[in-house]
Amino acid sequence: MNQLTFAIRQEAARILEENVVDVVIGFEVGTLPLKAQPAFITRKEEAEKLVYNGFCQNNLAAYLTRRPKEERIGIICRGCESRAVRALVIEHQHDRDKLYLIGVPCTGIIDWRKIERQVGENTLQAVEEGDEVIVTTRDGEHRFQRVDVLHDSCKRCLHPNPVGADIVLGDPLPEGDPERAWAPVLEFEALPPEERYAYFVQEAERCIRCYACREACPMCYCTECFVDYTTPRWAESMITPSGTQAWHIIRAFHQTGRCVSCGACERACPMDIKMTYLVDKLSYDMVQQYGFEVGASDEEQPPFAAFTLDDRNRFVR
Amino acid sequence: MHNPYKPIPMRIARTVVETDDQSLKSFELVFEREADREKFFAKYRPGQFCQLSIFGKGEAPFGVASAAWEGDFVRFTINKIGVFTRAIHKMKSGDAISMRGPLGNGFPIEDWKGSNILIIGGGYAFTTLFALAQHLLAPEIRSQYNDLTVIYGAREPGLFLYKEEIETWYKRDDINLYQAIDRPVEGWSHFVGYVPTVTKEIAPSAENTVSFVCGPPVMIKFTLPVLDELGFPPERIYTSLEKRMKCGIGKCGRCNVGHKYICKDGPVFTFAELRELPADL
Amino acid sequence: MYKVLPKTDLPKLIGRWMEQATVYAPVRQGDFTKFEPLSDPAQADLYYAANTRYPPKSLFLPQSEVMFRVKDGEFESTEDEVSSRVILGIHSCDTRALQLLDGVFLTGDYQDPYWAKKREQTTLVVLGCADPCETCFCTSVGSGPFDKRGADVMLIDIGDEYVADVRNEKGQALFGHLPDASREQIDKSRQVQAAAAAGMKKPFETEGIKDKLYSLFDSDFWPKIQQSCLGCGACTFLCPTCYCFDIVDEAQRNERVRNWDTCMFRIYSQEASGHNPRPTNTERVRQRIMHKYAYFVELYDEIGCTGCGRCVRYCPVDLDIRQIIRSAQAWEES
Repeated sequence: MNQLTFAIRQEAARILEENVVDVVIGFEVGTLPLKAQPAFITRKEEAEKLVYNGFCQNNLAAYLTRRPKEERIGIICRGCESRAVRALVIEHQHDRDKLYLIGVPCTGIIDWRKIERQVGENTLQAVEEGDEVIVTTRDGEHRFQRVDVLHDSCKRCLHPNPVGADIVLGDPLPEGDPERAWAPVLEFEALPPEERYAYFVQEAERCIRCYACREACPMCYCTECFVDYTTPRWAESMITPSGTQAWHIIRAFHQTGRCVSCGACERACPMDIKMTYLVDKLSYDMVQQYGFEVGASDEEQPPFAAFTLDDRNRFVR
Repeated sequence: MHNPYKPIPMRIARTVVETDDQSLKSFELVFEREADREKFFAKYRPGQFCQLSIFGKGEAPFGVASAAWEGDFVRFTINKIGVFTRAIHKMKSGDAISMRGPLGNGFPIEDWKGSNILIIGGGYAFTTLFALAQHLLAPEIRSQYNDLTVIYGAREPGLFLYKEEIETWYKRDDINLYQAIDRPVEGWSHFVGYVPTVTKEIAPSAENTVSFVCGPPVMIKFTLPVLDELGFPPERIYTSLEKRMKCGIGKCGRCNVGHKYICKDGPVFTFAELRELPADL
Repeated sequence: MYKVLPKTDLPKLIGRWMEQATVYAPVRQGDFTKFEPLSDPAQADLYYAANTRYPPKSLFLPQSEVMFRVKDGEFESTEDEVSSRVILGIHSCDTRALQLLDGVFLTGDYQDPYWAKKREQTTLVVLGCADPCETCFCTSVGSGPFDKRGADVMLIDIGDEYVADVRNEKGQALFGHLPDASREQIDKSRQVQAAAAAGMKKPFETEGIKDKLYSLFDSDFWPKIQQSCLGCGACTFLCPTCYCFDIVDEAQRNERVRNWDTCMFRIYSQEASGHNPRPTNTERVRQRIMHKYAYFVELYDEIGCTGCGRCVRYCPVDLDIRQIIRSAQAWEES
């Protein structure tokens, strides 16, 4: 058992025993070697189930808006989860007083697809050992450098450390390099428009409209999503290009200044569709044009949600 | 192969505003093709429903509110509540509309020849019960059954459906009609009170009687114990269920309650049957 | 009747079929395969062991299917717009799923003409699974990697050749001209089949599952098990036996269309009145599991799951149906 797992179990057991929270949301061992499962622990004895490792691939903050309103929640928060919590609190989706954030500096999530692309679909066992991931399949053992199999969003991560946590377990990590973080955005932007469009079409066309991306996203909490509206209808419900493209574009726009760049949408997609390239560009623009980054402060509204009477644009007046 | 999803062309022959608040309108549809009319009436029995469709607004299921003897039309009484119903409320006589049906099982009335019939309805849910009562009132059919009793409640007098036809029932001696409104209103000479209370008061005999009960969930909930007290076994209490439907023929999966599909196994069930199903309504 | 086909001759054979029919086979798309109509026999990828990501039910119940073209209020049906097809390389689990769905679409008072026509026009050349995946559990749900039910031909990979178990006339039309398999080849194919099934784990017991699930209908089991479920439709859309659909009008194209729908979505059961019989994720997860392991059993005496493992592999939160059934069987009310 790694040290973080041990520390998380201890802290979870403590806050349950001392009645600080009603539930602790964390991870437990999954049925598939390359995935951990979200876990909901309500009794201190069950805290022993919790694990923490690079296979914890979900953004747990997505569960906050699904839980009963009155519940006091302890939640394992990596950098992206903690920033999602901030954004949700700012958007009045959660009461910060009802949350207990167990901060964990994050070394990145291991992308099971990157591993299976190389070893096939029959993983029997997977463990992390320092900078390595050791995967056992039917035909033997395969070793990967952790950095080579991190999820793309984690490779670009700017903020591995949790913000505003009630307790931080583990040592702080160096912040990410903005140049490296935004490089893919600039590279994509540098492509000719027809190439960018072709890429967008090629990705969107695989969409089966299962909305796993939406449901996995901590910031997609609308009780009625625009695609579900029928009066009026905003997007075709068919899997036609116009239907799927509308979904991917409008979804991205709704994330402007709200996306925490966790990549949970891409990890959730059963069709391996790339999505973060769209929202990352919008996040980049938010930084460049408004100096705004989600989760940097615990009170600043996203620019597109905020307005002031002295706004230089006339439309608010 | 017959395509059960394919609607037939119909035309609106007459529309009637049923309620004072204008929210309920009846539409009498006639067939554009003789063959469709024959097919429809060969199969139709009260309690069945049809899928009406207005292309562009989609399809929606509605219970048939007329008996075959009333004429060559099919009546639907429609509450203005969603996209489809708002669209149909704007339509006028002469307008074209499409239809599929009759669908579903309907009331198994022919199984109860020689019995007393008790019909209990509340509000807007009276539509297929009206069709049932009208069906039973046809001279050659009426003689096959014993007493016919109808208890029909609405919030206020203006919310009763089919006012003209129902008025004629009072003049007949082969139907016992009890109409009730929730609160007293000047000029109202019939019952005042909720349907369960009125039912208790009237206390129809359960002996050799089968009952058909449709209404809002709260009415059903409080009427069932009354019927139980009166001695009606759940096998002799029928109701008609509603759930969101799409195909109407048991294929699209939407309207299941346990392993039953309301569209194809229903919409009419006895409470004995419903008791066997999971509570998924 | 057993025929033999050297693997090197397969492209030629596919080419021959292509002269008379549209041939569908798994085609590589990035990291996975999908059934596509072949334009060249070489596109067929039968060596990619795993199931196609997207289920081949889509070839019979397309995710979006035009049912009618509407002209001047007349609904013109599209069911006849399908011609002769061969599906090559479909696995037993997906073939079994088609058979289960025949129960839905082809029995009772109404037959679905779209499904019927496509079934009628299609020959299924099934490829048995010599190497079932870790997430597969066909043997636990009354099937197996070489389940021949529903197959017109079953191909068994014996190394350099396929042994083709030709099951009926449709299969005969495609394989009849090939040489008969030798006794040794047939024996070898039997060994391959036995070994594949023997190597599979049994993640749960299905004995009594229907009654157990009925008994759990109102229990705390569902609220507990559903907690991690995000309520997306990945499991149901990738499932070969999920068939629920919505019917919508695409007025701008003058089409009435049906689209896959899923009981996992809140709006699936949302009524115009505002009432929703399945208001929370608990009822929706319960519906998905019970439809397959209770209601389907009640209606057709078969489990409505073929153990293909897609929902297991692609659930974003690893909410594993094997684990759900196992937990249900073990659940005792506290």
